[in-house]
Amino acid sequence: MARNATAEGELPREFAEARFSRLYEDHEREILRYALRRSAEPQDAADVVAETFLVAWRRLGEVPVGEEARLWLYATARRVLANHQRGIKRRTRLAERLREELRRQLPLQPASDRPVLDALAGMADADRELLMLVGMEEFSPSEAARVLGISTMAARTRLHRARRRLRARLGEEWEEKQRNEIEMGEAR
Amino acid sequence: MRAREIDLKLQEADRFSAQEMEWLELGPAEAALAEAIVTEPADDGTAEAAPIPWRSADRRRRGRLLGLAGTAAAAAAAVILLVLGGGSQSPPRAYGAELVRFAESTPLLLLEGPDWRVQNVFQVSSREGLEGSMEFVTGPPIPYESTKISADYTVSGMAPKAVRQRKVELSWRQGELEFPAPPGAPAVRPVESPVLGTTGLVNPRAERLYIFTRTGERRIDLGGPGDRQMVGIWKEGGRLLEMRAWVSNFADFKERLNWLTKVDSETWLDAMPAKVVKAADHDATVREMLKGIPLPATFRPSRVPDGGLTTNRYQVGAAVTGTVSCLWFRQWGQARRTGDRAAAAEAEKAMATSRRWPILREMAKDGAYPSLVWQLAAAMPSGEWRRGWRLLPHAEALGCARQGIPVLPWKQRRQNERAEISGRPLDLRP
Repeated sequence: MARNATAEGELPREFAEARFSRLYEDHEREILRYALRRSAEPQDAADVVAETFLVAWRRLGEVPVGEEARLWLYATARRVLANHQRGIKRRTRLAERLREELRRQLPLQPASDRPVLDALAGMADADRELLMLVGMEEFSPSEAARVLGISTMAARTRLHRARRRLRARLGEEWEEKQRNEIEMGEAR
Repeated sequence: MRAREIDLKLQEADRFSAQEMEWLELGPAEAALAEAIVTEPADDGTAEAAPIPWRSADRRRRGRLLGLAGTAAAAAAAVILLVLGGGSQSPPRAYGAELVRFAESTPLLLLEGPDWRVQNVFQVSSREGLEGSMEFVTGPPIPYESTKISADYTVSGMAPKAVRQRKVELSWRQGELEFPAPPGAPAVRPVESPVLGTTGLVNPRAERLYIFTRTGERRIDLGGPGDRQMVGIWKEGGRLLEMRAWVSNFADFKERLNWLTKVDSETWLDAMPAKVVKAADHDATVREMLKGIPLPATFRPSRVPDGGLTTNRYQVGAAVTGTVSCLWFRQWGQARRTGDRAAAAEAEKAMATSRRWPILREMAKDGAYPSLVWQLAAAMPSGEWRRGWRLLPHAEALGCARQGIPVLPWKQRRQNERAEISGRPLDLRP
């Protein structure tokens, strides 16, 4: 029953737990969403979330305060995801229950029927990540820059180019779709 | 296509829109993950994933206040016994077997200093076993203290030195005879001291706190010369005992250690404030507390749990208001699932009056339970505890499942399955 700010050893842990639960409550859902968007299978996202918050717990002293904490978590989740994509995938027992729930509630989606996702999938990793951070996570270019560890100026420039490339890809697909429809019409 | 149109297309293509995420029933799994993480030992195995080095965009930015009282509400539901009030001068009484059993589950210790008395007794049953504490005071009662340390490391909410030094806290739990220092903080250099026929360890400078900051640990001194907090620990019967007190010097602390006396259960119960042992009229108290509270059709006074030992008004109040609130939250959850707007509105309207419930207003002086009820009630219209967080899993923090009124559908199913296995009739009441 540590009610007072008086314990040496005990209180920092209380602080740590209070801070961690605040971080977790405020940001776990969005980190999960971030991971789901980038994971091949929904249950992989559970491991990304678990590992991201485990890093946060173990490095709580390094987690900045306020809005910066959110960016720090995204940056950490991005590194965890990068490790997963390099094959350093951890199946942590911590995430067992969340993994099972995601597997049950989000069965593997069929191949995308959304041209934007197809177009994104064919783009370079750096372009895709920047487009998603701004378009889906709704970060400003300067916030996305913080997550990616690049300068705001670099993020703006890259974003401009990435949008141009995506536009071009969507244009190609649009034209291809139109062509297909015309060919099908002629075949009939 | 302009930049904005590109972003809109990306949002439209998102398979995990806010609305789709809302359908996911992940609350218990997410809570289990958080709980598992904070019990993880330190290990560098995952450290490489941290974004290093992280440089703050605005180093002048200050953090928000870190509150220390936030977990009080969750703890309240698990309390076996809590008493507040003056000392007992009553003649010896015969105690019921249940009270004697309870007394014997504690270390049966009293602080027999001149004019010192018991102010508080608290024991919870945790996964590790029984954990409890007692507060001894001299002079006027000492109210609940909530200390805060702000982002610029100023401390507020501490009682004055003269008040702090009128209190001694004794606690017991499972644990080792050691003072673990937080990572980065200097090791505690304990002093040996005799206590209750054994040798204990005393940390004579426990008023020094070490907190996490971006630049490392930071030390905060809550005391000063003539105003030290000391903590003594020793083992007894497999459990760790701890005495914590603000004192002028080590001699004062040793004197308080010497006052600790092992007693029998009757002497221990005699030392409790009178209202613990007066077999309070539970039903009359419940009726009195229900005044001013709108009750759902499913409410029966018999649904309020009577722990037998819960004689403190705060605990009875938590049981009463918890029962009523859980029933309203259960009705609200079912109504929202079935689209019964009238029933949902009725529950919201009833809970909106909770700020005026006399018993909650009375309890607010002693703890955080009323504040939890009010926050949950205020979140009903939106259905979210915080943005993106569904309300019902948080309503369970009132102890609904423990009181036999689970508000989450999966908990209701599990309760009914258990009832079926045990052969008891199913609880199909709403």
